[in-house]
This record gives sequence, C-alpha cells and structure tokens, in this order.
Amino acid sequence: MTPTHRARVLFRSIAIAVAACGFLAVAGAAQAPTPAVLVAMKEELDRSMAAMSNGDPAAYFISSTVADRQYSEVSGSNGALLTSTETRARWLEVQTRVGTYQLDDTHKLADRQPSWTSPGTSVVIDDDVPVLRREIWRETNRQYRAATEALIKVKTSQQVQVQTAEGNAPDFSREKPHVSVGPHVEIKVDRKPWEEKVRKYTAAFSKSPEVLNSIATFTALGMNQYQVNTEGTQLAFGQVHYRLELYVQSKAPDGMDINRYANFDWLNPKDAPDDKVVFARIQTMIAETEALDKAPLVDPYAGPALLTGRAAAVFFHEVFGHRAEGFRQKDINEGQTFTSKIGEQILPDFISIKDDPTQAALDQQMLLGNYAFDDEGVPAQNVQLVDHGVLKTFLMSRSPLVSIPQSNGHGRRQLGFVPVARQGNLIVSSSKAVTNDQLREQLIAMVKSQGKPFGLLIDDIAGGFTFTGRQQPQAFQVLPLVVYKVYADGRPDQLVRGVDIVGTPLVSLTKIVATGDTPDIFNGYCGAESGSVPVAAVAPAILISEMEVQKKETSTDKPPILPPPAHDPEEKGQRQ
Amino acid sequence: MRKFSTIALLVAFVLPFTAKPVAAQAAVPETETDQTLHAMHDEMERARTRLQLPGVDKPFYIEYRLLDIDVRAVTSSFGALISSSNTRNRFMSIDVRVGDYHLDSSNFVSEDGFQGFLGSTGEVGIDHDYNSLRQDLWLSTDQAYKQAVTQMSLKQSFLRSLTKPPEIDDFSQTTPVVKVDPRIEPDWTTRNWDEESRQASAALRNFPQLNATRVNYYLVYFTYYLMNTEGTIIRSSRHLAAIEAALDTTAGDGMALHDFYAVYVAKPGDLPDPATVGKSLAQAGTELMTMRQSPIVSDFTGPVLFQGAASGAMLAQALAPSLSGARPPLSTMPAFDEIMQRMGGRSEWSGRVGTRVLPANMSLIDDPTLKEFNGEPLLGNYEIDDEGVKGQRVQIVENGTLKNLLMSRRPGPEFMNSNGHARSALLSDTRPLSSNLFLQATGGLNAADLKKKFLEACHDDGHEWCLEIRSMDNPAISSIRQEDFSEFIGAIAGGVASGERIPLVMYRVYVADGREEMVRGGHIEGLQLRSLRNIPAYGDDETVFPYMQNPQGGFAGTALGAFGSAQGGIPSTVVAPSLVIDEVEVRGFHGEPRRLPLVDAPPLTK
Repeated sequence: MTPTHRARVLFRSIAIAVAACGFLAVAGAAQAPTPAVLVAMKEELDRSMAAMSNGDPAAYFISSTVADRQYSEVSGSNGALLTSTETRARWLEVQTRVGTYQLDDTHKLADRQPSWTSPGTSVVIDDDVPVLRREIWRETNRQYRAATEALIKVKTSQQVQVQTAEGNAPDFSREKPHVSVGPHVEIKVDRKPWEEKVRKYTAAFSKSPEVLNSIATFTALGMNQYQVNTEGTQLAFGQVHYRLELYVQSKAPDGMDINRYANFDWLNPKDAPDDKVVFARIQTMIAETEALDKAPLVDPYAGPALLTGRAAAVFFHEVFGHRAEGFRQKDINEGQTFTSKIGEQILPDFISIKDDPTQAALDQQMLLGNYAFDDEGVPAQNVQLVDHGVLKTFLMSRSPLVSIPQSNGHGRRQLGFVPVARQGNLIVSSSKAVTNDQLREQLIAMVKSQGKPFGLLIDDIAGGFTFTGRQQPQAFQVLPLVVYKVYADGRPDQLVRGVDIVGTPLVSLTKIVATGDTPDIFNGYCGAESGSVPVAAVAPAILISEMEVQKKETSTDKPPILPPPAHDPEEKGQRQ
Repeated sequence: MRKFSTIALLVAFVLPFTAKPVAAQAAVPETETDQTLHAMHDEMERARTRLQLPGVDKPFYIEYRLLDIDVRAVTSSFGALISSSNTRNRFMSIDVRVGDYHLDSSNFVSEDGFQGFLGSTGEVGIDHDYNSLRQDLWLSTDQAYKQAVTQMSLKQSFLRSLTKPPEIDDFSQTTPVVKVDPRIEPDWTTRNWDEESRQASAALRNFPQLNATRVNYYLVYFTYYLMNTEGTIIRSSRHLAAIEAALDTTAGDGMALHDFYAVYVAKPGDLPDPATVGKSLAQAGTELMTMRQSPIVSDFTGPVLFQGAASGAMLAQALAPSLSGARPPLSTMPAFDEIMQRMGGRSEWSGRVGTRVLPANMSLIDDPTLKEFNGEPLLGNYEIDDEGVKGQRVQIVENGTLKNLLMSRRPGPEFMNSNGHARSALLSDTRPLSSNLFLQATGGLNAADLKKKFLEACHDDGHEWCLEIRSMDNPAISSIRQEDFSEFIGAIAGGVASGERIPLVMYRVYVADGREEMVRGGHIEGLQLRSLRNIPAYGDDETVFPYMQNPQGGFAGTALGAFGSAQGGIPSTVVAPSLVIDEVEVRGFHGEPRRLPLVDAPPLTK
C-alpha cells in the first residue's frame, strides 16, 4: 500500500467501535510517596537532558511515559470458554525531540511517511529502580539516535520541497508543566464466575439456528500511568474499566453477513450488568438477527431520514468528529474539509458540538472518553467545536496549527503509537429539540410533503466495527446496520437490510432540520492513526430532510450448506 | 470460534497416487470419554456423507487438526520480572479437498479465491465439550469445502494454460493409523517459575556493561488431534521446556554486540535449577565482555574450523532448503517463486539423487524415531508425523551419494510417498522437515589432531592465522525486541539464499604457536551446500545441537528456518562432528560503527 492509500484506509476504518474504557481517578494533592517508577523516570530524564541538550543536534524536549497495565480477559464462544487470562505489563515510551519547537525531527514531509521508530519497549514490573533506569536509559538513547537521523532527513528535504501554508506551523507547542500524583489503582478479578457467564451467554445464542457464531468477552483493565517531561510535568494517575461485549454473526439467505454487537461498560465491580439484563439483551440481539436474516433488501432511495440518538452519535463521530481533528488540517494527503472554515457556518444554527473529556458521566451513565490528562501530559479540556452551527476550532494535540498554537488536551494514542489529536467525549446539543414522538411525526409529515411512500429510520450504525478479537470483520465509515422503512400511510415499520449511505455524508449534516430532546450515549473504541482509544459520542435523534441510500455490496459466500449440527433433523439421537 | 489470520502466504501442500473414492472413517469407541474425538468424528461423518454443493463434486478428503496448547511464559531482566503468564488455547485447522489423489484442489497458490466470512482455521473453545466444537467444525468445514471448490476451478483453468501440466500426483496415499494416546496435563505448581527466572537472571547484574538482557522461560504442553476420512485418528501429547536468554552490549568503538543462551528439555521438571542457569548466563556474559574487548576481524578467505555446536548450527542452515523432496506448489504468481528463492528455499539437491553430494566417507541420516544420543535427549523425536504417518529413519546420503529426500504426503519429482516427515507448528501447513539429523563420518580425528590438521591446512594456504567458529548466531533468540529480529530478517533474507551465515563467537588461531584470540564483527559469505562436497578434516566428536526451526512466514525448510525460538518453533536437532571447511569467505566489519550513547549507563547496583 502506498502511504497515501494507507492513510486513507486508516481514516476510513476509523470507527467507533465497540468498547469502552476510560476514566480516571485523579486525586488533588500528592501526599503519597513518589512511586518507584516515577523516581527512576525522573532521574534518567534529568541525566539525559543534561547531556542531550548539549548534543549535536541538541535535544530540546524529552518525555517518558510508563503505562502499568493489569488486564484480565475471559472470552467464550458458542457455549464454551475460549480463553481466560490475566496479565500485567509495563510499557515504556520515550520521546526525544531534537531541533527546535518550530522545526524538529517529527516534521512531516510531504508524500512521505516519517520513518517509524516504535516508541516503546516493555520494562520490568518489579519496582527495581536500577533496572528500570537501565531500560529508560537504553530507550532514551535509541530514540535520541532515531531523532537525530530523522532531523537530517527533515532538513535535507526542506531544502528541496515546496512549503505549504501549514508547513509553517511549529512542529511542537509549548505547554505549561503540570504536577499531579494521584492514587494507585488496582483491579482484583475473580475470573471463575465470568468463565461461567460467558459460557452461559453464548450458549443462549446457540438456541437460535440463525446465529452461526457468537462470542462474549469480559475484560477488566486497571492502568496506572506515569509521565515526566523536561518542561517539568510529572504525573501519576490511574484508571479502571470493566467491559462485557457480545457479538454474533449470521448470514442472510443471499449470503449477506449479518452482525449484531452489544457492550456494557462499568467502573465499579458492583455495577456489573445483572444476568437478567444481559439475557434480555441477548434475546433482543437474536430477534434482530433473525429479523434481519429475513428482511428485504432496500431499493435505492433519496428522502427524509430519522437517526435515533445512538445512530446520530456515531454519525457525528464519524462524519464530523474525525474531520475536526487538528492534525488532519496539516496533512496535505487529507481531505481537509474544514481547514479553512473556522468562523463559518457548517451546520444548522441550532446545533452545537463540544468535545469534553473532563466529563465522566452523563445522567449517571459513564462516558468512555473521560480522562484527566492526555497522552502528552496536557490536562483534558472542554472544547467548543461548533457553536450554533459555526465552526470555532479543532481538537488539538501538541502539533499546532498556525492559527491554533496550543494543545487543548486531545493528544491521544493507544500504547505503542505516537499521539495525535483525537476525540474524547463528543457531545452534540440542539436548541431546536422536540420529543422523539414529535420528531417521528415530523418525519411522516415530511415524507408526505415530499410525496414519498416512506422515510427511513436508522437505529444503529456500525462505525467500522472492531471487536476485541482483532480479527473480526472490518466495516465501513458509515454503515447503517438496523434500518426501518417508516410508511406515510400508517402501515407498521418494516425492517430492511443492506443499506449504504451514499453521497457526501457532510451534506447530510447541513440538511438536519430538527432534533429530539433525549441525548443517547455511544461508548466505544475508535481506531485511527494513533491506534484504538476509548471514546464516547452523545447526540439526540436527528431528522434529515434528504438522505440518499443504495444497496450495499454483498458477500458471495452463501450460508452453510448443512444445517447447524444442533438443529439438524437428521441428527436426532446424537450426543448433546 | 474466533477467526485468526492464517500464518503464511505459502499455502497448500499435499499430493500422490491414483484416484480412489472417499474411504470410510474410523469409528471412535462409544466408551471414549474425550468429547473432542466424538465431535470431530460426528461432524466429519456428516460432512463426508452430506456436504455437497449442487452440481459440484463432494469432498474426497477431509482432515481435522486440533491443537491444545498450554503455555507458561516468564521473562526477567537483571533479577526483576518483566512478565509472567499462563495461557490455554485450542486451535483448529480444517482441510477439505475435492478432485482425487492425482489432481486435487490443493497445492496451488493464487491471488484470487474464496473469501469466506470465517475461514477454515480459528480459535475454538477450551472446554473439550461436544456441542461448541461441532458448531465450529461445521462452519469451518463448510468454508474449507467452498474454498476447495473455488481453488479447484481456478487450478483447472490455470493447468489448461500450461503447455505441459505437471504429471506428479497431488496427494500420496498412506496407511491409516489409529493411535489415541493419553492426554498429558501440565502441573505448573511444582516449581516457582517467576522466582527461578528472577534468580537466574540476577546473575547478569554483575555485568554493568550489558545494555539490556532478557531471560525467557517458556514451558509448553501440546495435545494434537488429527482425524481424516481415510480412517486416521491421532491424539498425542507433547511437551517442551526452554530457557532462552539474550544479552546485548556496545563495544568501545560503538559496535553493537550480543550473545545468547538457550537450553531445551522435554519437560519443565528437567530444566536446570536457577543457580545452574545463572552460572551459564554468567559464562555468556563473560564471553560477551571478552568479545567487547576483542579486535575486529579483517577479510579472510581460507579454511575455517566449525567447532562442536557451531558445526550443527551451520549445517542446519545450509542443509535445510535441500532436504525436502516435495515439489513446490503451483502458482499463478511469479512473485511466489521469487520469495521462496530470496529466503533461500531453493534446493541445491533437487535432481541430484544418485550423485555424490558429500565426501565419500560421509552419510546423512534423519531419524525421528530416536529419543536420545549418547545420553543426550534428541528434541526432534516423534512417533507419528503431523499428517498421521509413522516417522521413519531416512538415509538421505549414503557414503557421499544422495539416496533419499524427506517426504510428506506431497509427492515430488523423485519420490512419491511420505516417509513420515510432515511437520508443522501451531497448525501451520505441514512440510517435509528434518527432525534429528545426523552427519556421520568414518575416520574422524581427535581434538588435538583435528587442530593440527586445521593449522596445517591453514599454513599450506599461506595464512598466519585461520578462523575457528565456536558458535553461530541465532537472531530469533538473541534479538531483545521482535522488531530487531524483523529488521535482521529484512536485511539478511536475500543473503541467506547466497550462503550468508552469521557466526557469533569466532577465534583467530595462529599457525606459529596455536594461540587463540577472540575476534568480532565478521560474517560468512557464499557458504552453500556445495562447499560441503569436500571437507579436508573433521573430528571424531559428535555434538548434539538442539534448535527450534522457525515455522513462520514460510521460513521452515529455508536457510532462515534455523532461526527459530521456543515460541512456536519446531523442535529439532543436528548431530555432527566438528568440520574444517575450505575456502570459506569471511567478510570483516565494514562501514561506520554507530556513535556511542551520549549518556553513560546508570549503575545497576541497588
């Protein structure tokens, strides 16, 4: 794949996927003794900076991060346990920047991917300061060497390449230091009951002959992060997250893949979902799967559409949120839809959008994109992206734009990736809200006035579905999963299948005519250039005056030839 | 089931004899308590009798492979723990063929083909229960059958485009074997592996000049299931325990240097205690410190003595590509052949059966049936190979003449039938690989005479000194980061095909007084199998060199295959005498060493 192509693909598969995590316990004062990891990091940071700031080329900034990760996973499939594991690992990342804030080794060269040095290594989990220091020392040297080599390439290429406007933006922003040492977090998981649960949950799916494959995965994550940098930042903070995911696969008679997915997220073990709640969700998923299997394919259509809150949330995340990420405005390989639109009306004037990672919950439901400090050590900030339809700013990491010189605390990454500007909790609000029932009435009225037989109700959107199993199917940028025809003549809604939104999704945003009054939350993991990060998207239902859909491409792989073994009439009397 | 991406782009295999209709499946006794066997049998029987697309052939062969793997892995550095885990998984791989033994859907690589929603491989439940396994087998069998049907039609149209399609069969027939061994379950509680790993690795704390170290304990139990429609039923348990350690440092001039330590035994209880491991690690540390101080070797061409285990390691690399008698798969992709060649997968012995390939007093034997040699365990031992064929002793070279090649059920131009050498790791595609490989020679010299002869040869060739290699590098073990290994493979892949070999510990031996001096920075170029046709001198020693063949990315069976580790490697040994090889080209270090770190290492003492 060419670099350009790769970037595009990554952008497309950005998704909100599924899962959740996030959130933090951040304590105010730091009365606890300094953790051993932080001691080791600080000692090596000071020693390295003393030498490397006088090196040739000189380092002007060094940071190091250690993520201490406690992780349990229990997964089941088709009624049996797949895996049950727990691990603890510490991952170290060091960044050494050489050159200046204006021009350094990370400067992006047109049409060329920066030579990639993986920014990390695993380090000891015992609190052995000399051994930790040795690993940090080694990684710092490795990164410094890579940075020096990269800077030479940057300088050489600068002499021969045309500069773009954003090429004049500094490579790195100056930020105020922050010092905060919060309490250490820890998870204690008894995996046995979860092993039983994932068996039971997936066995329940097997009762339906239409469910070909089911997976249930419980995960628990306890993560303590440590960060230091040469600007004086010194942080220790922890976060805990529990999640249960359910996933089923089916096939319609014409071979189309049908998937359903559900997730539960919680922060406190006592808030784990009750079996009753999970089984009810399983029944819903089975019913949806069976209905989708039988549902007719949609014909190409253009007309009014209503997106429920959850679908609208994903839609905004995909269609607006990713385009508001600051670094995309710098990259000439990007579409740069909004780059020059600050101060302009891009949405109807009753819509406002903020990204607020400081918010931990909404109506007592957790928001997965909550964090106290971003992965560059900058405090999370509430950023008003769109105010009454007018674009105000972008989500920023420490990679500044000419017009936006500072980070607003959105530099995020999955361990092992370089942070870029990402969403946290994207929250859409409206000043033209009606009840959801009224919104539906408006849909029907609009269908009639446009002389259409029906409108569309979009209830679930796959934002490029990633499952924790990592090898599950890739999906698309905006792919509606559950779509109903809403008839103007009062007939019951009809579930349809195989819908693909066509045209420019952005245009759809400008055609929003009204919204509902109840915000819905979507918690998931979003995958993009800096890996998979926990996010939330919140939006009310939206009514769009015109949306165009067509049949999506379908798989040629037909359903299995033989019936499922447990549902095979010729197999009676077999051991069960 | 959970889908996993198939390892390797080098796909199929399989082949031999005349067409025969679907054979019957062997029954699993009702009294058998292992539900795995019942589920495999019942689903296979359903597929064998009823799986068919309208207007298309039924499968003529169905094969189920399942692997239970239980791993205890612990990694430490300088006395502190990096990670410790215990994981249990079960994987399945399903092969369905349409056609017949002469021409079937396998043994064909194409860019197109069936893209199923699940695939024919995957991770399945570890409960050994009946229902979930049947569900998974059902889906995967369905996918494998559709894959086979698509492959067959692509293959047939490709064959029509050839002027002369290959006449060799696709799949050889063999006698079905039923052998259900007891399952062996691990007990991880007998020793404290976390603590042992800490203690052993602490020995390296006395070497402050080491930049980084990793000491990996890798203990694994496998249970392998194989069932096919010819009547074969296999259940066999195996285990392996390994300690592999990597050490790295920088010489005063900036040259990066490393060393490694590896020990492999059949079961965890046989592993040496931490004090013993610590001692061995300290030896490796001392060796590396000596290497740091040693001079850089200059370019050299002349006789080289491969001492002890270095001889086995060199042979493992040089021989691997040429031992297999299976023909490569047909491919519509020209790049496929190229990749194989680049990785050193081209056999130097193909078409040479009956000709002399080694000195007349040397023989080469591969024998998976042997468990030990002179009291030392042989890791390559197995009774039944991964295709269910009984492992056989194969006399590859007899008195210098090539007689036989290693065979799986995929026939080749010279040999048709399997001799029980189909091997795989983690259910990768099986290929003919060595197990316990013996280079035997009559009239070997004792150590003193060998050295004398070596120095004479050196003198006759006009040198003041010659090189003795005591060990060969294995970057799969000595790389501390996976990334370093990948980088190495990227850099070396082309070289191994032309005989580039990487020594680790190398000495200059002076003709005048027999003095030995360690040198660093050299690598060997152009050491191919044909360099072994004349061997001026060899020892009477027989050193057992245990190693793991690398099954990944199609490396197995290539010169790169010798670069494997316990993680997923295929246990193998080479037993060989020390060898003097003539006209070896050693290239010294050229280029600029990287500059030294700006900052000195911090102290290692607490």
